[in-house]
Formats: sequence, C-alpha cells, structure tokens
Amino acid sequence: MRIPEPSTIVIFGGSGDLAARKLIPALYNLALQRLLPATFSVVGTSRRPLTSDQYRAELRDAVALHSRTKPLNEEVWRSFAEHLHFIATPDDAGYEELRQLLDGLDRDVGTQANRLFYLATPPSAYEAIVKAIGEHRLRGATGWSRVVVEKPFGRDRDSARELTELIHTVFREDEVFRIDHYLGKETVQNILVLRFANAIFEPIWNRQYVDHVQITVAESIGVEERAGYYEQAGAVRDIVQNHLLQLVALVGMEPPVAFDDKAVRDEKVKVLRALRQITGADVMANAVRGQYTRGFIEGEPVPGYREEHGVAPDSRTETFVALKCWVDNWRWEGTPFYIRTGKRLPKRSTEIAIQFRLAPHQLFSKEALAGLEPNALVLRIQPDEGISLKFGAKVPVQGIRIRSVNMDFDYGASFMVDAPDAYETLILDALRGDATLFTRRDEVDQQWAFVDPIIQTWASSGSPSPYESGTWGPPEADDLIARDGRGWRKA
Amino acid sequence: MSAEPGFWGTRRSGVSDLERELTRLRRAQSAHAREQGGTVARASVLNLIVYADREVHARRAARSISELALRHPSRAIVVLADRGIEREAEGRIEMFCQVPIADGARQVSYEQILVRAHGDVEDRLASAVIPLLVPDLPVFLWWTGSTPTSGRSFGDLVGLADRLIVDSSDVARPEIMLPQLAHLCAQARGLFGLTDLNWTRLTPWREIVTSFFDVPSWRAYLDGITGVRVGFAVDMDGRDIHPSQALLFVGWLASRLGWRPLEALAPSEAGGLLFAIARRDGARIMVRVRPRFERGLAEGDLSGIRVQAATAELAEFVVKRQPDAAHQTATVILGGERRWERTLPLKSPAIVELIGEELSIMGSDRTYEQALRALVALA
Repeated sequence: MRIPEPSTIVIFGGSGDLAARKLIPALYNLALQRLLPATFSVVGTSRRPLTSDQYRAELRDAVALHSRTKPLNEEVWRSFAEHLHFIATPDDAGYEELRQLLDGLDRDVGTQANRLFYLATPPSAYEAIVKAIGEHRLRGATGWSRVVVEKPFGRDRDSARELTELIHTVFREDEVFRIDHYLGKETVQNILVLRFANAIFEPIWNRQYVDHVQITVAESIGVEERAGYYEQAGAVRDIVQNHLLQLVALVGMEPPVAFDDKAVRDEKVKVLRALRQITGADVMANAVRGQYTRGFIEGEPVPGYREEHGVAPDSRTETFVALKCWVDNWRWEGTPFYIRTGKRLPKRSTEIAIQFRLAPHQLFSKEALAGLEPNALVLRIQPDEGISLKFGAKVPVQGIRIRSVNMDFDYGASFMVDAPDAYETLILDALRGDATLFTRRDEVDQQWAFVDPIIQTWASSGSPSPYESGTWGPPEADDLIARDGRGWRKA
Repeated sequence: MSAEPGFWGTRRSGVSDLERELTRLRRAQSAHAREQGGTVARASVLNLIVYADREVHARRAARSISELALRHPSRAIVVLADRGIEREAEGRIEMFCQVPIADGARQVSYEQILVRAHGDVEDRLASAVIPLLVPDLPVFLWWTGSTPTSGRSFGDLVGLADRLIVDSSDVARPEIMLPQLAHLCAQARGLFGLTDLNWTRLTPWREIVTSFFDVPSWRAYLDGITGVRVGFAVDMDGRDIHPSQALLFVGWLASRLGWRPLEALAPSEAGGLLFAIARRDGARIMVRVRPRFERGLAEGDLSGIRVQAATAELAEFVVKRQPDAAHQTATVILGGERRWERTLPLKSPAIVELIGEELSIMGSDRTYEQALRALVALA
C-alpha cells in the first residue's frame, strides 16, 4: 500500500460535527495503521475562537467516543495531536494567519506545500471558503492542492453547475474530490471486484439472466437533529441523487478498461446517461414518495415527521422514495431497477439484490418446487457487509422437495478484521490523488438531470403518502413493484 | 451490559447491540472452526418466530428448536409475552441473544434471540421482531400455548410469516378452537400456510387407513362404511379431555369420502361424542369418538380406530396403538375372520420431530383445510 506524500489536511468546519464524528477519528485510525505520511499535519479551522490546545482536548474526547477502535491508544494520539492545529477564521485576518501557519508547517516539517482542503461545512459556506482559498493564496506555490467537497453537491442541476464553476476558479477538475461516503464502503468497492475479478458473474450480469435489480437504502432513524437541512432536501436529494444512483451506476456499468479514476468514472457516467428520465405523467407511474407518521421502532414509540422539532406541521417533504428505473442500453434493456430509500423503516439496511430469472424449464413437480424462489445474489452494504447467494437445494428427505438456501459470506467472519471505515478509505485516496471513488462533475450533472424532473413534478402538486414508522413505506410502494408481478425483498 | 449469560444468553440494549454481539459470537465460532481445520459458512434456511405466553412454554420450545439446528440452520426469535404476571403501566421490551453450540453442530449456524415483552406491548411487538429477521428467508411462526386470538400482535406477527404452526392438541374446548382455525385457514389462503402439529401426528394413522383401501378387493368397502369408532387417550381420572386429534381424523374421513353431517347426538359415555352422518349415497351412519385411559399415551393422542363396513359381507378395519406406544397394529377382519395383520413402528411424536417435519414444508395443506371444514360442519 502506497503511503501518501508528506502533506497537510486543512479541514474547514474543523470544529463541527462531521470532523468530530468522522474525519478526525478516521485520520487517527489511519495513524494507528501507519498509513499516514511521516510528516503530516492536520489543521482545523472555523469561525469559532478556539486555541489549538482546546481543539485537541475536544477532539481527544470525540475520538475516544467515535473511533471504531477502542480504547484510545494514548501514545499514538499524543503524537497525532502534536501535529493537530486550529486557526479561527472569522475574517480575512484569520485566513492570513492560516496561510502563515501552512507556510510555516511546510518549512518546519517539510510538508512540501501538498495540501488537501476539506470542506466539512454546510454548503452555504462553500462560496466564501473557496474564494478565501483563492484570495489568500492558501494553495502552496509548489506541491499539489486538492479539495474535498461533501455532499450535497448543489440542490439541482443548475446550482451544481454553478458550484463546480465556483470551485474551478481555484481548482482544476482533477483536483476536485466530490465525496460520497457510500463509495468508500468495502462492499461497494467489492461490487467491482465481484463483477470484474471473477469469471462466473459477468457472463450472466445482463438482461438475459437478470430479471430485475432491487436496491434498498433503509434507515430506522428519523430526521434527528437535521430537520433544518432535511426540510429543504428530502429523500431524493439526500439519498437518491447521490448514494442510490451511484449504486445503480456501479451495478449497471460496463467493464472499464482499467481500474483507474478515468476509466471507472467514464463507464459509470455512461450508465447515468442511459437512465431513462422520469418526467411528467411517468412520475405518477414510476415514482412513489412517502412521509413517516408516528409508530414504533424496535419496540419504542417514535413521533411522526411533522411532529419532529424543526419540521413544518404541514411539511410536504418526502422521507421515503421508491422508483422504477430503466437503464436504456444494450445490456439492461427490459430489466428494471427498483430503488427505494426511507427513514423510520423497520431496520437499518442497505443492500443490492440481483434477482435472476427462473430456470427456463422446470423438471420438478409443483409440490417439490413450493419452497423454491429464483436465484438472488445479494450484496449487503450495512449493517453487516457481506454477500449472499440464494439457490435451491434438495431437502434431505425421501423424494424431491426443494428449498431455497442462502449461502452467506460475512466479511467480518471471513477475514477476521473490521472493514475500514469509509472515511478512512476516502481520505487516504484523496491524499494519494486517487479519484476513482469520488464523483466527477459529469456524474453529478447526470444525477441531477435524472432527479430534477421528479423533484419539480412533486413540488408542483400533491403530497407524500403517509406511512407508519416501522413499516416498509406507503402501500403505493408495494403497488409500484406488484404491478409488474414482483415484490420487494424482505430486507 | 453483558452480565453472566443465563438460559437466554446475555441481555442486549437494542437491535444493533444484539447484532454486534451475534457477529462477535459467530466470529469466535469461525475462529474455532479454523483451528479445527474447518470453516463456517453461514448457511441459513429460515427464520423461526416462536410465540409463547408462558416462560415454561418458551423454554421447552427453545430446547426443541436448538435440537433442530442441524437439520434447519436458522435464526430463532422467541417472543415471550407473559401478560399474566407482569402488570407494568408502560410496555417495554427486552432482548437477549446467544449462539448455542450443540455437539457436532459447529458448522451450522443457529442463533437464538429472546424478545421478552413486559406489560402491554400489543401495538409494538412486531416492530421489535421485524429488524431481527434474517433478510429474504422464509419466516415460520410457531404459536405455542393458547389459541391464536385476534389481538394486534397476533395479526402483525402472522403478517410477517410465510407459515403459521399451531398445535390444537392442548385445547380443552375444540368446539371453539377448531372453527377459529378453520376461519384462519380461509384467511390464510394465498398469504401464508397454516399447519397444526396435531394434524402431523395423525399422518401415520391416515397413511395406514388409506393403505387398507389400496387393496383392490377391499376398496369397495369404502362406499359401504356403516360406522366408525375413534378412541383417544385421557388420564386416569378422565379429567383432561382433548378430543381434537380424534375429531380431525373424523373430519378427514368425512371430507375425503364426501360425507354430510346430519346431527350431533348425546354420547353414551362422558367426554365422548356421537355424530349421525349421511354417507354419499344417503345412508345414515354413526361415528363415535371415545375417551380411553391407556398408560403411556399423551392425552389426546389416538389410541385406536375401528372402521366397520358392509357390502356382500361384513368387514372391520382396525388400527390400534400397542401398549408400548411405539408400534401400531393394523388388522382386517372379513366375515368375522381375521384376514390380515401387520405391526408397524410408530414414529415418535416428540415435538422436535413434528416441528422438524413442518419446517421442511413450504406450501399450505389443502387436505387439512378440507378436513377442518368438514369437521366444523359436523359440530
């Protein structure tokens, strides 16, 4: 594994929630695994007036709480924290101070002006930050500079384009790393390995053998503390536009010519471009939206969405979406992709299911086949990453009785290690300049192009169908797939 | 949170905590298997939800199903809703889990979870069970103890199930329970399969009675049946009367042979039942169901069957359980003369065997439904 070059990571929104819960714990775990360069500094910045010492103390507690490895390794943390700094940037003077610190670090610890800027702030702050990076010459004179931008990237196609243009005033496209942390998950990367490192799957990975594909991103949590953001976004912008469409692209893509950022993303964007638009009257037929009402999760009573703190009592924001999509290309003609996501569903579960067709001719009697279901290959992304294959097997009794069996490959139990956190993978990739798992501007553009008409149609009329918390969405979602003689999997 | 593991394993604070613990236990098992040169493929074929309203039933069921792990790798979710004892104002749900290891069963995955409900949790019980189900595997619901009722948790749990398993054997008042089951069967059509362990217990009896009439020269007696007597076991004092198994047998005969009920008559002995029935050709015949004390038999189990018929000559077809309870003797008497006799082993009716049999079947049992319907018409 190539260790990144000496560098500095600058986290805007460095005193925020994302930094405390994800970014700093990820960096600390990279340090634990000896994957950070020998000379590496972390600089946090935000408007808050904090000293570096206060910052370190805050983050020490955060890492002890949120790190996937416990307990905290004091030695490693102490050494990591020595290279952890904080600069308050409420105004231009702050940015000047930041530049001086960065230049100083380059001189003192030899980070060679290699800089990774991480925008971990709400999107409303992006413009000011990007401009400040340019105006205060935070990019080093030598070395590389890259910028990581968190989702959501824009709120429609036009605003995403504007944001890209803004960032391009300071960074080239090959320096822009749009993060979608789903892509950092092991199983998501494993889609590519499964498909393209094995000889037995790719030949059947097409319309001839695959009946349909189901992708589910289910959360059992509600809107929690994010009502302010969520009210404006909704499930389409929050999950469909990025995570779900990326999963569709990875499942649907053609074999890339190489495993590098250009080849992989070229193929992904082709799938996104082949997605049939759902517009006007089609929205009624192929898209379902829902909003949770009060109910029970894991035996505990939970409030409805409109009763949540910060949500309008007559809110029309969707917390559930189900779509029937078509990838109009040679490989997938006639094989639909059913995708769904929602909050306050019965359990947290993300999975991709490739549902195969039935065997073409059935030798066995109807009674024998009563327990048989079509083959399915399921890629589980969370909570337990793994892969399972469903096939029919004979029940060990006299005579033929067939039963579907699931053969499970469990990451944890097979490799005996915890899969790295997605942020570790992605930060390391960004430090090494590998953009394969990041989203390119044309991908983002196509993703918005797909969801914009749906959002617009929904905004203009109607409202989401209510569903009780702890159920799998409104009945319309079942109808959506039942119309085709199929059913949602029991996720 | 992890206190000493008890009968139900350790208590966990919620679904994700419980899943983490199961993952840890599976890994430990997997590591152990590697040392032994094996591997653990986690193959599962089903989810089994066991509903019990008393701790003793829950424990008995848990022991039975852990014995089945080798044949039916599964995740068992035991739901214990003991409303009788605990009266808590606010309903609450606790969860426990373990991965029991039976000898030689290391290669097989079997996970057991206890969902214990305190107080009134009718409306939320299912929400604790759903996230525990292994995705995309068939769900069996074994409803132990008292009659399935119309409560919300029954409806919710049945809604999750592909197959509902009940046992009508313990029922003291079959005239109430059996029509309920028939009603449930009608509701179940196309949604889930329903079976009754008591029906499974009848299988050897049905097989042997059917086999009499596979003999071509005896088949004609089927249309000339003049009377049927069915005996079922009771305890010495004749207190525990559980005639459902015997009644199911009568219902089966009636549904297969196209008999119509005429009237229910007063039986000559306490605890017995007497029916007048019209044969397909209209002739009136009598069917008696009689309690018998027999040592070694579980209450309610069939003790014997006698089918009388008349065509050119009189015939009797008799099946009796041997005193050891492990054998059955079938006898055919024609014109007062014993023509044929055979003794067969009788499979153990242990609950483990019965459940094991049920778990390997997916479809619903039309013959049972028809027997039940015929029976409801009789009573």
